Amino acid sequence: MSVQADTTSNSNAQDTGPSKLSAFGSAFVAQGFTMFPVLLLLIIVGAFVAPAFLTSRNLINILEQVSVLGLTTIGLTFVVLIGRLDLSLEGVVGFAPMLAAVMLVPAAAGGYGVELPGWMALFVALGAAGLIGLFNGFMVVKVGLNPFISTLGLLVLLRGGVLIISNGRSIYSPGEALTYLGSAKILGLPVAVIVFVVVATIVGLVFQFHRYGRALYAVGGNEEAARAAGINVDRVIWSAFFFAALLSGLAGVLLTGRLDSAVTTQGQGIIFSAFAAAVIGGVSLGGGKGTIIGVVSGVLLIGVINNLLTLAQVPSFYVQASTGAVIIIAAVLTTVASQRSSGVKTRT
Amino acid sequence: MENSHPIVEMRNITKTFGSTRALRGVDFTVMRGEVHALVGRNGAGKSTLVSALSGFTSADTGAIRISDTRFEATGQNYAALIRDDIAHVQQTPRLFDHLTVAENLFIENPLIRKKFGVISHKSMLARATALLNEWNIDIRANAHAGELDAGTRQLLEIIKALSRGVPVMILDEPTAALSNAEKRVLFEHVKTLKNAGISFVYISHHLDEVFEVADIVTIMRDGQVVKAREPVGTLDVETIANLMMGEETVRSAREDHTDKSAPILLQAKGLRVNKFATADIDFEVRRGEIVALAGPVGSGKEDLAMILAGQKIPQSGQVTSPRGTLPTIGFVPTDRHASGYVGILGVRENVSVGGLDILSGPLGFIKGRKEADLVAQLARLTNVISSSLEQPVSQLSGGNQQKVVFARSLCRSPDVIVALSPTRGVDVGAKEQLYALLRDLASKGLGVVVVSDEEDEIEQLANRVTIVFGGKIVDELVGDYSIKDLILHMEGVA
Repeated sequence: MSVQADTTSNSNAQDTGPSKLSAFGSAFVAQGFTMFPVLLLLIIVGAFVAPAFLTSRNLINILEQVSVLGLTTIGLTFVVLIGRLDLSLEGVVGFAPMLAAVMLVPAAAGGYGVELPGWMALFVALGAAGLIGLFNGFMVVKVGLNPFISTLGLLVLLRGGVLIISNGRSIYSPGEALTYLGSAKILGLPVAVIVFVVVATIVGLVFQFHRYGRALYAVGGNEEAARAAGINVDRVIWSAFFFAALLSGLAGVLLTGRLDSAVTTQGQGIIFSAFAAAVIGGVSLGGGKGTIIGVVSGVLLIGVINNLLTLAQVPSFYVQASTGAVIIIAAVLTTVASQRSSGVKTRT
Repeated sequence: MENSHPIVEMRNITKTFGSTRALRGVDFTVMRGEVHALVGRNGAGKSTLVSALSGFTSADTGAIRISDTRFEATGQNYAALIRDDIAHVQQTPRLFDHLTVAENLFIENPLIRKKFGVISHKSMLARATALLNEWNIDIRANAHAGELDAGTRQLLEIIKALSRGVPVMILDEPTAALSNAEKRVLFEHVKTLKNAGISFVYISHHLDEVFEVADIVTIMRDGQVVKAREPVGTLDVETIANLMMGEETVRSAREDHTDKSAPILLQAKGLRVNKFATADIDFEVRRGEIVALAGPVGSGKEDLAMILAGQKIPQSGQVTSPRGTLPTIGFVPTDRHASGYVGILGVRENVSVGGLDILSGPLGFIKGRKEADLVAQLARLTNVISSSLEQPVSQLSGGNQQKVVFARSLCRSPDVIVALSPTRGVDVGAKEQLYALLRDLASKGLGVVVVSDEEDEIEQLANRVTIVFGGKIVDELVGDYSIKDLILHMEGVA
């Protein structure tokens, strides 16, 4: 091409090539594995502290417990990857299954007396969740609201909505159609865990290898550049809110199944854990950065810590406080690790 | 004017970013009342050196003295020490969009402060209005900074720094966003202040500016000074360019691949580019030609290019193609930092994001092999230099970032390339590579539209120059023209 093809070969970026070890370190962090050594350490400590910890029953129990948080966090990651946030996911976890429940159960059990057939259960719950996600997308893309305020409003609205549609009463045993996913077991493995693993795998593959995933990272990293590259940014934002709500609705269904009831306070506080899990897993709240492998590690870390503190018979007052402390420490660790390894400053 | 006493002395300054040694023991001296130009290619260390001087980034080692403040750099932040000694105008304006012009000008300025930190709005507005008048800027002092155009913003940034009354000023590429008239005003002020004993460190990629305002030139290359404190009178463009490059350079000349009978690729009819436009624009792009859109800042030339690229909807009129369907268009946006690349993603992702649809299978999953091949091929074509194709683009030098943006625009094998300010903030070597690339594309039958503020660039590239002024096409140069013709036509005197 040009006679000066090599004139920039001494440009800044590469005076010295990175060593093999530091390249491995960078990849390790970039792929989202930062927290796994910590997780391993916790498991080893756990095995010594509480003999009951390292039993298959307890481990499966942990997985079952984190599957709800896991799905919500994966949903949240869609929105956080594009540099937005969605607080209403917590409301969806409570509202979607409650709506399905009141449509299913007879009036005597607190329902509307519509008594929809069982196969409609998932359809109603996920449909409602999806519509809520589309509404969030509409508010952000078309109306131009800051997602913090629009989803905060919706969160409060949905909490009230749960009380309105349920008349303030929890609905017990809403029917197998709604509870199957959260309560059934296949070969001793809870279906909830299988759902979580399958969703995590699919979303992980999409994030890494699908053009939609690539678009999410691009929009989160630099929205204008994504637009100039020909990505339909509005549609990406809209769909991210849709998938976030949809997965949170699924999480709600799992929770209802595990409790065998649609509780009016269902899901309350889960959004904080979801944000914590995402950040611990290396997802940047500034957008454009994060992997499902990391998210899963964050979710597992929170699950294991909660489990350990309970097994170690730490008084419940202390459980909450120490979970918070651990969240901060873990967030510091991932942030420092990612800055050290990539040299790129990101807001966590 | 006393020129004998140094006001800035930097000794043996080093700065390392990760594995990059940006400054390798630099000495730098500025005398009182001089305009000291710092020139060098992108990545030579100019911006790092002045940032170390102003404390914007802290030097790792070395001794610094500014006026009466003297200290050893240790990598710790020292910006607060020298706050009242030096002002640094950065390449891109950093204004508070939601504050007024007056508030922006006098932020943290003791002149308008009363007791207990209360701000006097009356005196602030009066002073701001006086300053704006003095600089011939026709805006209200209580307008919001966010409403202003790029040139005015840059001037405000400069005025803000100058009004702090510091003895040393750093101007890093101050004219990039300025029109010629605004440049004149700036240079007048620089000369006045220089005579009043203020010293300037002036960074510019435009050597003609250096010759116009500077007294002394220091040339940097690869984090070192290769020529220290040379009086500007003893230098010429050739010498400076050679010292910057470290080897003889020849400015490349334009090539002509145009053909009168070549088919039209893109045709605009009756365009009104913005709501200020008073006339319709008719414009076409043919195979194999490089068309430049020239004109002053705000003339509408960028709007026209954005409309051609399908990035903006015209006020009226439409863009069509004689073939019926619009051709594939590759787009290089004007500001690569704002809309060119995604800094935290790697080269591979940044390039392939331009063609995700052609790289993915029916289910939308990206074909890794195909992606790797295409990105590698485009990175070779555009000469991207990076440690690997996974390196985050924010870590590359300006020239390489721009090449990544070009690679992205070529992802879908376009028929037309629309490039806005294709070499803004890019060093001489990378510039020539990008010119060669554009000529090569034209020779392969692409239509190339370039928007540029640099006459040299236009003259080196364009087979046809369309001059835009006030939202309409006022003149056109075709075929063989000299840079003098170009300048005369652009000034409207030919």
